Amino acid sequence: MSLLDGIGRRLKANARSLALRPLEAARDAAYTANGVRRGEISPLEPLKTVGATLGALLVVLLLLFPIYWILTAALSSSGGSIYSSGGLALLPENPSLQPFLWVVGDLAVPGYTISLNVPLTDLALVIDTPEFVMLDVSQYGVANPSGFKGFLWNSLTVAIPTVVIAMALVVPAAYALSRREFILRRKVLFVYVLMTQVGGGLGVALLIGLYTVYVQFGINDSKLALALYYAATAVPFNTWLLKTYMDGIPVSYEEAAVVDGAPPWRVVTEVIIPLSTAGLATVFIFTFLTGWTEFVVAQTLLGTENYTLPVGLYSLISEYSIPWARFSAFALTFATPIMLVYLFAQRYIEGGLSFSGMEG
Amino acid sequence: MSTVSRVARRVETIPFLEKRDVSLLFVLPGLFVFTAFMLFPVVYLVGISLTNADPASLFAGEGAASVLTFGEATFVGLENYVSVLTDTQFWNSFGITWLFVATSVVLKIGLSLGIALVVTSDRVRGKRLMRSFVILPMGLPAIFTVTVWRGIFSSAEFGLANQLLSALDLGTVSWLSGRWSAFFAYNITEAWLAYPFMVIITVSALQDVPGELHEAAKVDGAGYVARFVHVTLPSVKRPVLFASILTAAASFQQFLIPYVFNQGGPARANELIVVYGYREALSFAEYGRGAAISLVAVVFIGAFMWLNVKRGRLADGVAEQ
Repeated sequence: MSLLDGIGRRLKANARSLALRPLEAARDAAYTANGVRRGEISPLEPLKTVGATLGALLVVLLLLFPIYWILTAALSSSGGSIYSSGGLALLPENPSLQPFLWVVGDLAVPGYTISLNVPLTDLALVIDTPEFVMLDVSQYGVANPSGFKGFLWNSLTVAIPTVVIAMALVVPAAYALSRREFILRRKVLFVYVLMTQVGGGLGVALLIGLYTVYVQFGINDSKLALALYYAATAVPFNTWLLKTYMDGIPVSYEEAAVVDGAPPWRVVTEVIIPLSTAGLATVFIFTFLTGWTEFVVAQTLLGTENYTLPVGLYSLISEYSIPWARFSAFALTFATPIMLVYLFAQRYIEGGLSFSGMEG
Repeated sequence: MSTVSRVARRVETIPFLEKRDVSLLFVLPGLFVFTAFMLFPVVYLVGISLTNADPASLFAGEGAASVLTFGEATFVGLENYVSVLTDTQFWNSFGITWLFVATSVVLKIGLSLGIALVVTSDRVRGKRLMRSFVILPMGLPAIFTVTVWRGIFSSAEFGLANQLLSALDLGTVSWLSGRWSAFFAYNITEAWLAYPFMVIITVSALQDVPGELHEAAKVDGAGYVARFVHVTLPSVKRPVLFASILTAAASFQQFLIPYVFNQGGPARANELIVVYGYREALSFAEYGRGAAISLVAVVFIGAFMWLNVKRGRLADGVAEQ
C-alpha cells in the first residue's frame, strides 16, 4: 500500500506544481514587462525568449506528429487522411469511435447452465445464469470485430509466466550480487553488463538455432516455452537493474536488524524486500513488457491461433491496402497502456540508462 | 538455517571454494537459464552451419537424439562459409548494413544533439515539460513504432509522407519500392526510434557542463557558435560517444525496420545482415547458409562490442565495485 500512497503523493505534488506554473509564468512576464517599461531590460530579450520557446515548441510538435497522426486516423471513420480537398486538415472531419469498437468487439459473459445433482435422489438443481451483455458492437454497425481479445489472452498467458519465471531468477541473484562477495562475482556482473547492450540483436541472430531446437523438441508452438525464453533474455538487464537499486539501500539497516538478532532470511524479508519495492516494481514492469511487446520470436515460433498482440498488429498491414482507421485504433489500444506505465516508470528508466556504464 | 549451514559446510570441502561462495547458488539459476537460451543456440548454430541442413533433413528424426545429430543433415565442413563469402548477395547485404550504421548514426547524433540543445537552452521556457514529451516515443513498443512508420511511408491510399508531399504539390513517391528511397525511410525511422535514448544521455551530459565555463567564454567575447565548439562539445564528447557506440550496435542489428517495411526489399537489395540470415534460413529454407550468415554477424557484433568495451572502458563501473 505504501507504494500506492507514494505514487498518489507524487501525483498530487506534480499536479500542484503543474497548476501553479501558469501563475508563476504570469508573474515572471509581469516582472519582465515592468523591467522593459522602466528601461532596465532591453526589449529584445523577452522577444528572443518568446521566439526560442516557440521554436522549441515547434520542434517538439514535429517530433510527436506521427503519434498525433495515428490518433486522428483512429478517430476518423473513413481512414486517416490529413489531406482533404480543402488542403491539410488537422482534425478528422467526422470523428467516430467505431474503429475502437471494432477492436474491442463484443463484451459479453455468455449464459451457462449449471446443474447440481442432489445426492441420493434423481433430482438435479439446474441453474441458468443470465447472459450479461455489456457491449454489443453489431448495434453500432461493426460486423466482424477484430481478434483483439484472442491476441490479448495469448499475450497475457505469455507475459504472466514470463514475469513469474524472471522474478524467481532475478531477485535472489540481484540480492547476492549486491550484498555478498563470492567467487566469479565480477565475471558474472561483467557478462551481464555486456549482455544488456547486445542481447536484443543477438536474439534474432540466434533465432535459427532456437527455432530448430524448439521444433525438434516439439515445443515451438508452446506459450510457456516462449515465456521461458523471454525470461532468460530478461535476466541480465533486470538483475543488473535490481542489483544497482539494492546497492542504494544502506547496509546499516541490515546491521541494525542483525544486532537485534534477526536471522539472515528475516533480514531479507523485513529489510531488503520492503526497501526495494520500487526496484521490484520496475523489474516487474520491464519483464512484463518483454513478453508483451516482443515480435520477432513470437512471430517465428507461434502458430496462428497463438498469436500475441504484436504479431496480431503486424498481420493487419499489407502492401496495397491498409485499413487505416482500424489499424490505428488497434495499434493505439495496444500501445497506450504501455505508454502510461512508462510515464510512471520514467524516472527509473532514465536512472537505469544513466547507470548502465556512465556512472558505474 | 540448518540446511543453509549444511550446504555451506559441504561447499567448504570442495577445493577453490570458500564458505561465502554459497552465495553463488543464488546467481546460478539465472545464469544457467540465460546461458541455456543464449549459449546453446550459438553452439547449435555453429553445428548447423557445418551441415547442409534444410527443413526436410533437419527435422527428419524425432526426439532428443535427433537434436544432437541435426536430424539427417550431412556434414559438409566449411562449404557454407565458402559459398556465403563468395556470394555477391552477402557482400551487398554486408555493405548496406555498414552504410546503414554510418548514415543512421550520423543522423541520430545530429538530431539528438539538436533536440538536446533546444530542450536545455536557457531561453526556452517550460523545458522540463518539453523534455518529458520529447522522450515519449521511448515508451512505445518497437513493433508499434515500426508498423506506424511503415504506414507513414506506405504508398497504399496515401501514407502520411505522400500526403505531405502532395500537400506541397511535390507529387508522390512509392517509398518502399525504390532501393534508396526505402533506405532513406529506414534511416528516418531508425532515427525516430533511437533519438529518445540519445537525448536522455546528451541532456544529462549538457546539464553537467559547468556554467562558469560558459560565463568565462562569454567574458572573453566568444559567440554562440564558438562557445558551442570550444566549450559544449568537448564537455559532452565522452557521453555522446558512449551513446553512439551503443546505438551503432543497435543499428547493426536492426531487424524490425527492414523486415516490417518490405522484408529487406525491393528484390533483396536492402537486406541488413540479420534480416539476410533470417530470410535465408526461414524463407528460403537454407538453414546451413542462414546459420553461417548469422554467425558471421554475431562475430562482427561481438568484435565491435569487445573493441568498444576495451577501448571505451564501458565496464569501468563493474571494475570499481
